[in-house]
This record gives sequence, structure tokens and C-alpha cells, in this order.
Amino acid sequence: MTRASCTTSPQDLLGYWLGELDAAHESRLDEHLLACSACSERLRTIVDLGAAIRRELLRGSFGFVLPAPFVRRIKDAGLSVREYSLEPGGSVSCTVTPEDDLVVAYLHAPLRDVRRLDLVIHDATAGTIRVSDVAFDPEADSVTMVPSVAYLRTLGHNQQRAQLVAVEGVNERVIADYTFNHSPS
Amino acid sequence: MSLSVADADDDDAALARRIIDCAPERDRYAEAEICRRLGPRIRLYGLRHLRNEAAAADLMQDVLVMMLQKLRDGAVREPERLASFVLGTARQMVIDGRRSGKRRVRILEAFPVDLIPPDEEAPEPFDTARLGSCLGALPERERAVLVMTFYDDRTADAVAAELGLSAGNVRVIRHRGLERLRGCMDASGGTT
Repeated sequence: MTRASCTTSPQDLLGYWLGELDAAHESRLDEHLLACSACSERLRTIVDLGAAIRRELLRGSFGFVLPAPFVRRIKDAGLSVREYSLEPGGSVSCTVTPEDDLVVAYLHAPLRDVRRLDLVIHDATAGTIRVSDVAFDPEADSVTMVPSVAYLRTLGHNQQRAQLVAVEGVNERVIADYTFNHSPS
Repeated sequence: MSLSVADADDDDAALARRIIDCAPERDRYAEAEICRRLGPRIRLYGLRHLRNEAAAADLMQDVLVMMLQKLRDGAVREPERLASFVLGTARQMVIDGRRSGKRRVRILEAFPVDLIPPDEEAPEPFDTARLGSCLGALPERERAVLVMTFYDDRTADAVAAELGLSAGNVRVIRHRGLERLRGCMDASGGTT
């Protein structure tokens, strides 16, 4: 048993780790994982990958778009979050300081009838980036953009335009746009 | 029994039998090998149920010491079911909270701990620069689900509630994202 390859699916292992399994299934996996080094090592890899994702998130290595409740959880955990809130057509002077762990922009827009939403960023330094099919809650009427802090720290004065684009099949329409005027702290 | 180096191919039950057969003498190599094999698994069990690295490391030590004691005493009747014994011990220790400071000191004084795998800082298992790049290359929805899942180990139900999706949909996106991420890391030699 200990030298066989792992026969437990990655989905089950992750479900076990996150506490998604019923009690009987969890108990069976508890015992199996103590007996089977292959499955235990596979789970360890998943757990390590999750921890590495968390570390990279906190290092600001990559940008992402998430619902606002997630940002509240980060703030509740004691991280320093610099926040900007923009209405459609709005602009803001922004920066990042050494004390900031994350920078967040709440982009308000009417989203109730939107099924798929893309975020298009025109960055004076990095060029145009299209982020397709961003995660959002249609009831919230806002999108929470979290740019890479690591990237922001490399910038001098820079302007960035962001557009929220609703996509319906081959048709798309710009819902709102926003302007960020970045300056170093 | 001669104190030869434990055969690397010995499975857990064979190692347990060696320890039982050697008692009251100690088969140090079999004991070290069984601790080396089971220690990480017990620690993972502890991390899953205690959600705390230090507590999981303590649990691992306590369970290994208890296991060695029971093996030397001949109290483990079915070595081939060692995992059941270890699970029962670990589960009980987690549930009844008997791992108080005083009890730990007593146990660790009574039994040698030279066999316990050291509590070392593990090296970074991934190329972090590559991981950041691979995360950045994921489709946005997969990146969002992975971040929301692993930031504080959220279930699919909880992530789904925040995203306005079904839990099943989140599981599909999560699985797809993990596979894509691992593929990206493997393709670039980003795992160590």
C-alpha cells in the first residue's frame, strides 16, 4: 500500500483538506492518508501549492479581480489595504506606499443584466491588457480590482484607463470607464 | 535481533513487527525509519484537524512517542493495521485535549525523542517567481477561485456564495485552475 501510486483523486484530497466531505468519507480518508505515503505526499503537494498561492497573493505578485467580501476578509486579518472607489467615468490620483500590503479599486457600475464581464486596461507603461470573464457578483453593482502591488511599486508617474465591458455572444458594450493617475509615494 | 539498518523496502507493518520482536531491546533503525515514514503523515493529519503548524508538530511528536511505547509494550496486536492504531491515538489526542504542557513534558522525558523527525523549516517547494507568473497567466475566473479558496481554505460552498455561482461550478473551475497551474509549473520546471 505504501509504495503504490495514489489512487485518491485530487478533487477528493482537496475536498478533504477543505472539510467538504461527509463524516464517513472524511474518516476513511483520515485512515487511508495515515497508511498511504503516496496519497499523503500528493495531499502535501496540494497543501503546499495552496500555501504558496497565499504567499504570492500577500507579496502582491499578481493582480486579480474579486468580490468585495474577500477584501473585507483580508482587512479583517490585519493587512493594510489602500482603497479607491470610482463611479463610472471617474478618475483618481493614486499611489502605493511601503506600508500598503494591497491596493484595491472598487469600480462601481450597473451589472444586474450582465452575464459575462471583461476588464480592459490601457496602461501607459505596460500597454493594453484584456482580462476576460472576471469574477463578479451581479447584485453588488461593483467590481473589485486588485492590481499587482509588485508592479505598482515599479511605476513612476503613470496613467491607466480601465473599462468594464459586457459581453453577450459576439456583441459587447462598454459599461463604464475609469482613470487612475498614479504617482510614486 | 541484530541492529541492522532498516531495509528501505520494509513497509510500515514490517517495521512495526521488528520493533515488537526486538522488545525489550530497541531496534533503533526500525524505530527511526517508522518515525521518518509516519511523522509527515501524522503532521498532515494534525494540520488538517488543528489548522496550526506548531500544534500539528506537537501532535506528531506525541503520537509517535505513544506509538513506539505501545509497539515496545506489545500492545499493538495487529501491526498490519498500524494506521488504524495511529489514527485512533491521534484522534483521541485531538479530541480530549490531553496534550497539555505538563503531560507533554512527562512523555518526552520518559521516552527518547532522538527518533522524532526534526521540526525544520521546509524549503520553498516551488519556484515563487514562476508561480507568480503562472498565476498571472491563468484565466481570471480560475485565478479568482484559487485565490479565494486558498487564502483561508474556503469551501466551494463559501466561495460560491461570494461569487454568485453554484458550488459545483466552483469545484469545476477550481479543479481546472489547479490542473492548469500545475501544468504551467511542471512545463517550466517550477517545482523543486
